[in-house]
Amino acid sequence: MKKVLSVLMVLTMLLVPFAYAEDAAANYPEREIHIIVPYDAGGASDMTSRIIATGLEDALDATVLVENRSGGSGSVGMTYARNSAPDGYTICYIPVEVVMQEILGISDIVPEDFAFIGRMTEVPAALTVNASDDRFNSVEDFINYALEHPGEVTIGNSGTGSIWHIAATMIEEATGTQFNHIPYDGAASAVTSLMGGHIDAVTVNPGEVQAGVEAGRLKVLALMTEERDSVSFADIPTLKECGIDVVIGGWGALAVPADTPQAIVDKLSVALEEAAATQEFQDFIAERGMIVHYMNAADTTAFVQEQSEFFNEVLSTMTLD
Amino acid sequence: MLESLMDLVEGLSIAVTPTNILYCFIGCMVGMLVGVLPGIGPSEATALLIPLSYGLDSVTAIIMLCGIYYGGMYGGTITSVLINTPGEAASVITCMDGYPLAKQGRAGVALKVAALGSFVGGIISTLGLALLGPTVADFALSFGPSEQFALLVFGMSMVIGLMGKSLIRGLVAVCIGLSLAMVGMDPVSGTIRYAYGLNELVSGLDVVTLSMGLFGLSEILVGMENLSVTGKATAVNSSKLKPEEVRPTVMAIIRGSFLGFFMGLIPGTSSAVPALISYSMEKNLSKHPEKFGTGVPEGVAGPETANNSYVGGAMIPLFTLGIPCSPTIAILMGAFMMHGMTPGPTLFITNPDVIWGTIASMFVGNVILLILNMPLAGMWAKLASIPNKLLYPIVLIVAMMGAYTVDNNVFGIVVMLVSGVIGYVLKKLDIPLAPAILVFVLADMMEQNLLQSIRINNGMGGLFKSPIALGLLIAALLVITISLIAEFRNKKSALLTHDE
Repeated sequence: MKKVLSVLMVLTMLLVPFAYAEDAAANYPEREIHIIVPYDAGGASDMTSRIIATGLEDALDATVLVENRSGGSGSVGMTYARNSAPDGYTICYIPVEVVMQEILGISDIVPEDFAFIGRMTEVPAALTVNASDDRFNSVEDFINYALEHPGEVTIGNSGTGSIWHIAATMIEEATGTQFNHIPYDGAASAVTSLMGGHIDAVTVNPGEVQAGVEAGRLKVLALMTEERDSVSFADIPTLKECGIDVVIGGWGALAVPADTPQAIVDKLSVALEEAAATQEFQDFIAERGMIVHYMNAADTTAFVQEQSEFFNEVLSTMTLD
Repeated sequence: MLESLMDLVEGLSIAVTPTNILYCFIGCMVGMLVGVLPGIGPSEATALLIPLSYGLDSVTAIIMLCGIYYGGMYGGTITSVLINTPGEAASVITCMDGYPLAKQGRAGVALKVAALGSFVGGIISTLGLALLGPTVADFALSFGPSEQFALLVFGMSMVIGLMGKSLIRGLVAVCIGLSLAMVGMDPVSGTIRYAYGLNELVSGLDVVTLSMGLFGLSEILVGMENLSVTGKATAVNSSKLKPEEVRPTVMAIIRGSFLGFFMGLIPGTSSAVPALISYSMEKNLSKHPEKFGTGVPEGVAGPETANNSYVGGAMIPLFTLGIPCSPTIAILMGAFMMHGMTPGPTLFITNPDVIWGTIASMFVGNVILLILNMPLAGMWAKLASIPNKLLYPIVLIVAMMGAYTVDNNVFGIVVMLVSGVIGYVLKKLDIPLAPAILVFVLADMMEQNLLQSIRINNGMGGLFKSPIALGLLIAALLVITISLIAEFRNKKSALLTHDE
């Protein structure tokens, strides 16, 4: 009898973790959730995460904390998130750069390390020059000048291998021009340098140049989106309209470590959709020159896969310098 | 200018409403608190409080967030003086003379001088912001990569003044600083250097973590050699300046105010740079440079004034051009946008109440901080008489927590501990630590600006084409020559009396 009892006891004890696992998903979230932002506080990714965190708090009825773990072009934070327990309590803000980390040799992070909850934003790119620069009043001026003066036009980006660096390189490839790429520590310092007339152009997010445009110091020549912007830059053409087939931009998604239970991913995905739909989030993103474009978990996974293939191809033929 | 004054008065009427004074006070308090805690700086605190500011009126929100920024500059001093552990980068140099003062039982002097200097610096630079804002904005823009590089070379030339007794040992310290700055990703090509496969080293070393180890922990290790000796002043000495100290301290505060303001204008400089340059400047101008590092009040007053007046200067590019000059300012810019305003000249037209209310509140905030800090200085100073046996474990815990919070990573603690041991060894070898840290702060920015300048101009030409850059490079050359001549004269007499 005793033996039977002990066997039963061992069996029950073995089953407890399973019951708990079931429970863990059903009762999720039971404690505070951390969003890892792989960049410094104050940047666009950080602010996006902080606003979405307040939305997630309401949707999940749990505390959501934002934690900055910056460095190594985002690899420090993403590596930390990848190695966290796959229990849904550690979420990571994932930028477009996730698909380039391995190709550019920055780290061994690949999109497959994560289970995507959903995509929140699109971050378009814009070709911007100094307002007092008479050489460039249109995309045609700009490209023609660059063709006549190969290697002379200086374009600032937010760091070697950044999405904005790739954006400028794609214009080069599509038009046969040759620019002189100047890497800065973040987009803001590149924009400052452009305002002072130290460089000729930047290819960064329109949100970064908006203040300068309003101050009459900068002018946007073109957006690198599929369609025109409907809010702040309605009269600015797209590169496509100007006959240059370049559509490129960044995006921001949320993800959890790859082995997280599906039930938790689903729960987070529903909450994210709710949070991304709030007026607060919509207003903030639009003001920062970004676009709210929610995608659910499955669509995001497929989208990231596409992006991975796209940038693999682009980067394999591209020499970034 | 008269118009600006009128606007400022208008702004003052907004800033002194009870709600706004309350939130200004909250901002200043939070700022002071994060300034005291190593690891959490004003930028993190501002980012944390932005979501809390949603419900507030936009001007009230901005007033509070600005309070955090300049409040942090006051708070950072306290730990530098009391436990030789800087709360944030801008206060690293305050350790040099602040801590020796505390050891002599004169922590009260150091803290009061710092509070007073911070106040004067804050007021002068806010006046500059209000009256000169738009006029000097273009000056800020004229600093491109070439000009910034030249400015940093000028800063580097000031390092000689910090080298202490031996030029060779000073140069060893410089090399250590340079090698530490090399760690991490090359800013231009993206090549990863000296990371040894460690993900955490890819972004380079953090200046606060390093200085907590090099200054704070190494101090503990030295103290441990002789734990039975308290090494503390038995009594807290008077917190008044000696008569002969008044003049140099006042001069240091005045010079620091203007230096900090102009350095704030220049995009990309951190608040540590004006503090460091102010210290070297005071030492070079002093009648008794050899006393620097042993506890002279002007060595605290100059840098502390400069890092506060830096704040007002750094606001100008934000308010007039919409350019965020430093990480904290970038976060403030985000706060403006979150409240539906784009910083820049149009803001003066669309939301003058916010702009002038905020500027006026900076006067209010500086008064609040002065009132808070003067009596507190005496109280803090009493902490300095805690026996080392009790103090050291507390400092160690604070430093470890600080090192962790910089990146929320245990690796920071490892870096802090290792640099503590390195700092101990260097102290034993009599190699000065300040040049190492100063060079570390400058080298990173210097490298990037030089490489940018070379790329933009297809060569070194840019450095000589720009009059600002050329002027600064010549000034640097002058400083180096003069200090070298002085150094050799001293050395000659020193060599005659005792061997090295």
